[in-house]
Amino acid sequence: MLDLKQLGGRLLQFVFVLWAVVTILFLMFRLMPGNPLAAYIDPTFTEEQQQILTAKFGLDRPLWEQYFVYVGNLLRGEFGDSFFYRQPVFERVLSLLPNTLILTFSSLIVAYIFGIVVGAWLAWKRGRLVEQAAIPFVLTTRAMPEFWLGMLLLALFSFNLGWFPAGGTRSPGAEFDGYLDLYTSVDFLAHLALPAATLAIYSQGLPLLLMRSNMLDVMREDFVTMARIKGLGNWTVVVRHAARNALLPVMTSFAIAVGYQIQGNVVVESVFSWPGLGRELVNAVSASDYPLAQGAFVMIAVVVVTMNLIADMLYGFLDPRVSRA
Amino acid sequence: MLSVRDLSVAYRVSGDEMFAVDGATFDVPQSSIVGLVGESGCGKTTAARALTRVMAANAEIRGGEAIFGGRDLFKLSEAEINRHRWRDIAFIPQSAMNSLDPVYRVETQLVEVLRQRGGLKRAQAQERAEELFGTVGIDPRRLRDFPHQFSGGMRQRVAIALALALNPKLVIADEPVTALDVIVQRQILDQLLDLQKQFGLSVILVTHDISVVAYVCDKVVVMYAGQVVESGNVRTVLTEPSHPYTMGLCNAFPDLHAAAGKLAPIQGAPPSLMKPPAGCRFAPRCPFSADACRVDAPSLADVTAGHNAACYRVAEAPILRKRAAKTETWATMT
Amino acid sequence: MPDGGGAVSATGKPGSRSMIDRIFGSLHLPLRDPFAIMGLAIYVAFIVAAIFADRLATHDPTEILFIESYDLASDRRPGEDGFVLGTTSLGRDIFSQLVYGSRSALLIGLTAAFVVALIGTLVGLIAGYFGGIIDIVLMRLADIAFGIPFLPFVIVLAAFLDPSIWNVVLAMGLVLWRDTGRVIRSQVLTLRTRAYVEAARVSGSSDLKIVFRHIAPNILPLSFLYGSIAIGWAILTEASISFLGFGDPQTISWGYMLQDAFASQALSNRAYYWFIPPGLCIILVVAAGFFISRGYEEVLFPKLKE
Repeated sequence: MLDLKQLGGRLLQFVFVLWAVVTILFLMFRLMPGNPLAAYIDPTFTEEQQQILTAKFGLDRPLWEQYFVYVGNLLRGEFGDSFFYRQPVFERVLSLLPNTLILTFSSLIVAYIFGIVVGAWLAWKRGRLVEQAAIPFVLTTRAMPEFWLGMLLLALFSFNLGWFPAGGTRSPGAEFDGYLDLYTSVDFLAHLALPAATLAIYSQGLPLLLMRSNMLDVMREDFVTMARIKGLGNWTVVVRHAARNALLPVMTSFAIAVGYQIQGNVVVESVFSWPGLGRELVNAVSASDYPLAQGAFVMIAVVVVTMNLIADMLYGFLDPRVSRA
Repeated sequence: MLSVRDLSVAYRVSGDEMFAVDGATFDVPQSSIVGLVGESGCGKTTAARALTRVMAANAEIRGGEAIFGGRDLFKLSEAEINRHRWRDIAFIPQSAMNSLDPVYRVETQLVEVLRQRGGLKRAQAQERAEELFGTVGIDPRRLRDFPHQFSGGMRQRVAIALALALNPKLVIADEPVTALDVIVQRQILDQLLDLQKQFGLSVILVTHDISVVAYVCDKVVVMYAGQVVESGNVRTVLTEPSHPYTMGLCNAFPDLHAAAGKLAPIQGAPPSLMKPPAGCRFAPRCPFSADACRVDAPSLADVTAGHNAACYRVAEAPILRKRAAKTETWATMT
Repeated sequence: MPDGGGAVSATGKPGSRSMIDRIFGSLHLPLRDPFAIMGLAIYVAFIVAAIFADRLATHDPTEILFIESYDLASDRRPGEDGFVLGTTSLGRDIFSQLVYGSRSALLIGLTAAFVVALIGTLVGLIAGYFGGIIDIVLMRLADIAFGIPFLPFVIVLAAFLDPSIWNVVLAMGLVLWRDTGRVIRSQVLTLRTRAYVEAARVSGSSDLKIVFRHIAPNILPLSFLYGSIAIGWAILTEASISFLGFGDPQTISWGYMLQDAFASQALSNRAYYWFIPPGLCIILVVAAGFFISRGYEEVLFPKLKE
């Protein structure tokens, strides 16, 4: 494992980055033009009512005081109340997190399994026609706007063929006993299929290209040559030795990809009306529901920063040279 | 036991061909250690690796034969040569660090080859792995360690244990001690000698270090620019070198011959194998080259029984040896 | 990267080649790679379309069109009534929008790429060359930039500022320099130990001169590599932002077209001619950047070629 000093350094960096992101967010929301309460205040409110409200949200106090209140609140998981839903932001954001995580992880797991297998296979086929045709094709999938791909799948498989529902997480009227029942139901999976496929098609390029280039590097290593001189079978040489080593950085990239995907989910969740953090952020910003927008942003940032930390540490766990030095 | 005739290996390099080994001939008698010696880039590693037929993607055996156990290794099908790999012909690499898979325990790597190539059951393989560690003098408890946890010398012992796993007849050791410091070098070489006697192994030892050859080898094959220039018994070749290149190599290692401080290295570098010089390939660097040397290449001929050299001035060798021992002889070369 | 033409021209005969020659020489444009050439060709095609947009377009892209009988020319199929790619449900010409869309795409793409490459290169150069506290501060800033969720950040920024296509450029300049900066920094770290840089330092060259004369030419291709990727990122980001409704409604962009199509039920109406062409245009331009950067990688890291 990483030694304690390194671990401490990483954690310190984690806290520092989170603090900085949260501070930037605060400054963005407070220093930007316009009254943050504009959406909350009914035009029929009297001057006095407005002042009461301003005081209630602490906006009459000096900026630095507001900042300390803000940070203190965040530390206690107190994100304020949503203007629109009139309910605690933290509760709402937390209830949306599972949807976003399920979408992200299911699509990425599919993308990574596909990318790793095909990437290794393409490295094996280095220089052949399939490889030369496949690489530009993969690059093209990386060039697609995710939401456009989503629109395409939606038009094709939902509106045209009618195979999958057009949005949401469940059909109207469907009842479930608890989360496990919901998440394993055919209805939920049918709703998940298209958005997850969209994200998976977009995401497979990264592990695929990474796996391929790592494989090409590893195949040149002495220990792979030695495995051949030992007369070990092709499968053992390519999979047990080459692929196992090439996999390390790909696994690390998975954590980074999770953080990446969470922010990219914003558009795909909007296309498929998937009730997740990203769509919530978009809706909150559009409706000027600042506490909610802030909460959704902080939650997404927490996932991103945590995943960066995990990526850092994962390499240590996976590579015996680092973990058992 | 192994007889290599006219071996040629070519590399394709951006459209051109480069013969890294060009008509090399040598024998490896039963239970003896043969040193394949020369400067880097002279084709010795390529020649040795050709015997396993596992080579770089752009390398190809272009001619010659390697008779091993009555059959030509180069004429075997891929499946047939693979049966010989490791069971009959094992390999000790230069850097055991890079040749051991970093993500598996050493035990896993030993057991892998014992089971897949030796047909042992898991329990037997584990037992055998411990026995092998005992043979090379490492505590069997260290089988559970990863390659990076061993010191350089220890790793080289692990590589030797791996090579001995299936009781091979021939072991090819490619610069097995080059990466180690002198004291550890000697320990490993002693061990190699010991094991060679114990198991009656035949060994091809590839090295650029003539003192290593002097220490462990029975026979020596000197290669220059892809060709064999001299071969014979170690004692004969090193005390009475008949090719100027061998004379120069012996000079470069003062602990063998002359008193310390009288280093007389060969000037220049080996020629490009893309366009090798006409005639004797050593002629451009040879202090004794005559006009004839630059026209036709001399072929390997007997000096005495079992001692050959490829040089037109073999007859004058005793005189040349005296001149070659002087620093000025080599210094005058450009 | 080995000491290529950049290092030679920078240390060789100064003044014998013009500044422009030297810059282009040190870029190592990957003109031998077929994909890179294809990428460049795509760029050229779109640049031509952008420049001559007013001549190529058959209609005013924002005008609501009527046909002679004063019928609203809405939802025309491609080719119908002379509309090459048909019309939107509000009667705007799709082909003309597509042509004008290339203007904003290239404008945003190229500016953002320039800004990102410039900031990233400067940060990398300064952090890598001077090291010490400057390096620590800049790299901690990069850590923070890596912690900012990019798309949400652009959304919030776009919501606060007046709608404009430049919001994307601003956001990219604030956040996306991080990748370029880190890579260039590590490249500079290896370059500054090279013999010719040491030589320049020992012989008393000023820091500024060493950085810009001896180090910068060698990292310029890397900046270009990241720049060509950033073009794609900018166009994709602008499209996403417009699609989500935070774009500039006054500017025709491909993302805006897609949002218009999505919001106008083009999907359920099976108006493929409306939402497929803008997506293909985005793919083409973004992929062109990837192809060029791939060509660069082969120049910069030739081991991939073997």
